[in-house]
Amino acid sequence: MAQGTDNKKTGALSEFFKAFGRGFKDIGVTFAEGDWKTKLSYLIFGFGPLLRGQFVTGAALLACEALFIWFMTGFGWKYLSKIATLGTVATKKVGRKTVYGDNSFLILLFGVLAIFAVIALIAVWYINIRVNRKEELILKSGKKLPSNRDVIASLFDKNFDKTLLALPVTGIFIFTVLPIVFMILVAFTNYDKNHQSPTNLFTWVGFENFKNLVSFSGAGIGSTFVHVLLWTLVWAFFATFTNYFLGLAVAMLINKKGIKFQKLWRTILVMTIAVPQFVSLLYVMKMFANDGLINGYLLKWGIIKNYIPFWTDPVLARITIIVVNIWIGIPYMMLIATGLLMNIPEDLYESARIDGANPWQMFRSITLPYMLFVTGPFLLTQFTGNLNNFNVIYLLTQGKPQSVNLAEKAGNTDLLITWLYKMTVNDTNYRMAAVIGIMVFVVTAVISLVVYNMLPSVRDEEGFQ
Amino acid sequence: MKGSYKAKRTAGNVIAYIILILISIIWLFPFVGLVLQSFRSYATEYGGMVDYLVPKAFSLDNYKFLFDLSQTNYLLWYRNTIVIAFFVTLFQTIVVLCVSYALSRMRFTGRTFLMRFWLILGMFPGFLTMICLYFLLKQFGLTQAGAIPGLILVSVASSGMGYYVCKGYFDTIPKALDEAARIDGATRSKIFFVMTIPMSKPIIIYTALVAFMAPWCDYVFASYVAFGHDSSYNVAVGMTRWVWTNDYQGYFTRFCAGGVLVAIPVTLLFMFLQKYYVEGVTGGAVKG
Amino acid sequence: MKKKLVSVMLTTAMSAALLAGCGQQAAQEVAETATDAAETVAETATDAAETVADTAADATEAVAEDIDYGSGEVKVWVADNVVDFTNEQIAAFQAEHPEMSGYTFTVEAVGEGDAAGNMITDVEAGADIYAFAQDQIARLVTAGALEVVEDSNAEAIKAQNDAGAVGAATVGGTLYAYPLTSDNGYFLYYDKSVVTDPSTLEGIVADCEAAGKNFYFEINSGWYQTAFFFGTGAELTYDTDDAGNFTKCNSTYASDAGVVALKEIAELASSKAFQNGSAISNATNVGAIVDGTWDAQAAKDLFGDNYACAKLPTFEGADGKTYQMSGFGGFKLLGVKPQEDEGKLAVCDALAAYLSSEEVQLARYNAVGWGPSNLNAQQSDAVKADEALSALADQLQYTIPQGQYPGDYWSLATSLGDSIIAGEITAASSDDDFMKALTDFQATCESYAQ
Repeated sequence: MAQGTDNKKTGALSEFFKAFGRGFKDIGVTFAEGDWKTKLSYLIFGFGPLLRGQFVTGAALLACEALFIWFMTGFGWKYLSKIATLGTVATKKVGRKTVYGDNSFLILLFGVLAIFAVIALIAVWYINIRVNRKEELILKSGKKLPSNRDVIASLFDKNFDKTLLALPVTGIFIFTVLPIVFMILVAFTNYDKNHQSPTNLFTWVGFENFKNLVSFSGAGIGSTFVHVLLWTLVWAFFATFTNYFLGLAVAMLINKKGIKFQKLWRTILVMTIAVPQFVSLLYVMKMFANDGLINGYLLKWGIIKNYIPFWTDPVLARITIIVVNIWIGIPYMMLIATGLLMNIPEDLYESARIDGANPWQMFRSITLPYMLFVTGPFLLTQFTGNLNNFNVIYLLTQGKPQSVNLAEKAGNTDLLITWLYKMTVNDTNYRMAAVIGIMVFVVTAVISLVVYNMLPSVRDEEGFQ
Repeated sequence: MKGSYKAKRTAGNVIAYIILILISIIWLFPFVGLVLQSFRSYATEYGGMVDYLVPKAFSLDNYKFLFDLSQTNYLLWYRNTIVIAFFVTLFQTIVVLCVSYALSRMRFTGRTFLMRFWLILGMFPGFLTMICLYFLLKQFGLTQAGAIPGLILVSVASSGMGYYVCKGYFDTIPKALDEAARIDGATRSKIFFVMTIPMSKPIIIYTALVAFMAPWCDYVFASYVAFGHDSSYNVAVGMTRWVWTNDYQGYFTRFCAGGVLVAIPVTLLFMFLQKYYVEGVTGGAVKG
Repeated sequence: MKKKLVSVMLTTAMSAALLAGCGQQAAQEVAETATDAAETVAETATDAAETVADTAADATEAVAEDIDYGSGEVKVWVADNVVDFTNEQIAAFQAEHPEMSGYTFTVEAVGEGDAAGNMITDVEAGADIYAFAQDQIARLVTAGALEVVEDSNAEAIKAQNDAGAVGAATVGGTLYAYPLTSDNGYFLYYDKSVVTDPSTLEGIVADCEAAGKNFYFEINSGWYQTAFFFGTGAELTYDTDDAGNFTKCNSTYASDAGVVALKEIAELASSKAFQNGSAISNATNVGAIVDGTWDAQAAKDLFGDNYACAKLPTFEGADGKTYQMSGFGGFKLLGVKPQEDEGKLAVCDALAAYLSSEEVQLARYNAVGWGPSNLNAQQSDAVKADEALSALADQLQYTIPQGQYPGDYWSLATSLGDSIIAGEITAASSDDDFMKALTDFQATCESYAQ
């Protein structure tokens, strides 16, 4: 099985290089065999199509080139040229007035954007060559080129995918890909509170931040990182499985034969999904405070002598968080399970009952296997989602309580994600935040990859296909 | 034999009811508390935390405060949130439908690459990019005073990656239908608008509902983009300050009242459209 | 929020006479009148206003001829409860300075805690003038979010404000901010019906325990913690250079004195009456709370007729000696952001000087009860008669003015406090454990100074 996928992967890789080679060959052949219009198109995009009457295609290609030149001359080059140093001109004072120097942040951000623009230009250039080639071949074979109207019409038919995806892909590119690449690069700089744009410059430092992450002596944060990572994993495990099994149990309880007002019970439970978390969780946080409602009543009724430190004791805080998370998570799982449980054929249970199976046995041998099989991928996404479950932790404890044993202001209930957030917002320690962010990615990706390949439903589907 | 089985089941049901009632109490307790606190009189019982549940006197002080624009911008925040939620819902639904249709029905170069690439992108924590997004938006003047369109833009721009559930639904619509229509001469776009979309009402409602609920909780990014400009906060940013910042002494009951007002429309909508939500999450869960 | 309109109007009238650029003499005159009985203030102030009017007019004319201020927008960030007050003061400022009419002023509610963080995130989008608590100053200087106070203003500030406030606004040898208040210290609020004798910690805790009430002390804050450490004679200060870098840490926490203090904190935390916290609105069932003047109104509302306040108590250390609790005397400051335009900078300077002037400080006290840092304003009868402020004044003789501390210190101290609350360090721990915790603490503190 594993070998099979390996073969497929190497196949894909060699396929990719072959395609790359073909691309180069295309460029050469087109130039050698092309007419003067095509040759000039190597410099002026869309020149060939325009002269051949393909105004829509030609104009689009030319517009891309014009846009690139406009972007680079007016904006991009200014930043791209400084990306190797991230700026050298320091901020200075002229009289009492401040004259800002280079802005390392913008240099990095727009430098990256400019690099992407160059890559995009090369891609458009290649498309431009392909278009010329195609048109020449069509003309050579004596056929007519499609009319401009046809070209536009194809955008709503054959090429409808391009129309549909153009904006979403651009949006994701600018507002997701670009920022992620930017932040990955920040992990290799010294961008922190002492090197803050626009007043101070920051610069490249290589792998220094990563060394700091795995350094376990002195000022290194290695041991804290391990501590936070472990709790992140423990939390994700408990948060996922407590919710899963308890949610399943509640769903079965409500689905039980003879239980009335099913809709009412469900509606009561789903309140926690509907009410915005910043309202419900902040209230719950106050409820469990040392001087909050719960402790207040328990003390008043004489059940306890001293308040229970729900949030201030490290171990208790973790338990409380997981319990509150059950309150948040059960309804969600309950809804999913309710739908799925109905799909299990009733006669399976009937025959089991005739065989004398008790409810527990039926659950063990019918319900659970079915549910686990069907919801495998869901469990995985839940798990990775919980690894990054910011809201529950931050609204309840903000990662506290802190401890003298933990570096970089990490708290005992901090997940990697809340730690990262605090570094970014409270400390402007962007360089370490970027490193932690990359680690979050690595953890998520590794777990997803490993678990995904182990899932029975995934394996079976592959066999089935 | 049969009798004992029945008796057992009745006993089981009684236990089940007891458990369900207990669960209901636990689940509703915080909300009951929230509502009760929101009616505590600000004037006579003070607006801070107390360690009892039922107010000594009920009053509408806190609600009056929220509706008084000379004292707080709550109404503005509320309006901002509705505006954001509305536009995000509208555009996000459109984007998700487009992406899902393209990925489900069309086969083009780079399709699998795109899907894998987006999957990997989704594994990066979102907060990482906050500061970068902030400065990108700032270039367009979409921070502070322009924070509302800015927030809409960012939510919508990256929404294409959340296509899974919707694509899964489109996958279940038989392709034979499409092919029959194509033979009849319908274009792809016509199929999309005239056939697929009308058949997808449940998934459209699900997508819209999820999109509508998210902006009400957006504290992190909204506070980052709108800082220092009170009138472009959303409810989450404006109100969490009442709990977290010491400048706001005695705002706890006001927070509760504000929370109740925020919860009402979202909850009502949710209850009303619950059926579609269940359909969506169940489908999504099975598909992964 | 009800404003005492009359007093505000009075003080605006007074301040009309007294703008930046007016002679020192005029300032003195008005200052003297301020110490007189309240009724006479109005008259004298108007007199003063008239007498200075001529000289002031000359001065402003001369300035107006020399500088073209240009136009633009000046953003001001202050805490929510002084937004209205600040708007009124700015209106008065504008009336006084027609030559700056090209500028519009907007005031936003950004808490003193958030202001620094937001400024640092994006200096350019931040406010031009903003209020902040002094513990943020070094961080703001490093990030380039504070402009040096202009020389002539600096002299006036140093002369007119108490030494602690000036020290708080100084980084290295340079004055970076305008002192606003000297009330950022803490003392004890208590319920008279619960606590009979507020003079000893043991007594307060016993009374609260007996009454089933809570005693609030925020021991996981680096700010409140020092009440114990400085009380037993342990020290912790930092030296800074002009750029806001910390050059040296002077600490004696890892000493017998430090151990006594930490033990006492652990002892306090073990009481069932103890609650960690310092915000009245978040506190329930309060018997006593260590808090600052900003919560005075909330405390009055909470305790009603039983409202009382006092200096911090003494405690008997594990070594049998009695110590008076100490702590920080802190200050609120007003900062001006570096500007790319000299005209705008001049406007910001003038407004910051105005908002931190004696009259406005006094007016601010009248409006919201913030204790002034201006020496003359401190001498006014109203300020002297204030219960909370006099408790603070009693306490101040035992405290040290808060200097500059690196941001990391505060969170390190939170960790130390959290470790006690969580029971990682308890009253029953051995002296060696305490010493080890403090040695680590001190070493980390020292590592913050380069």
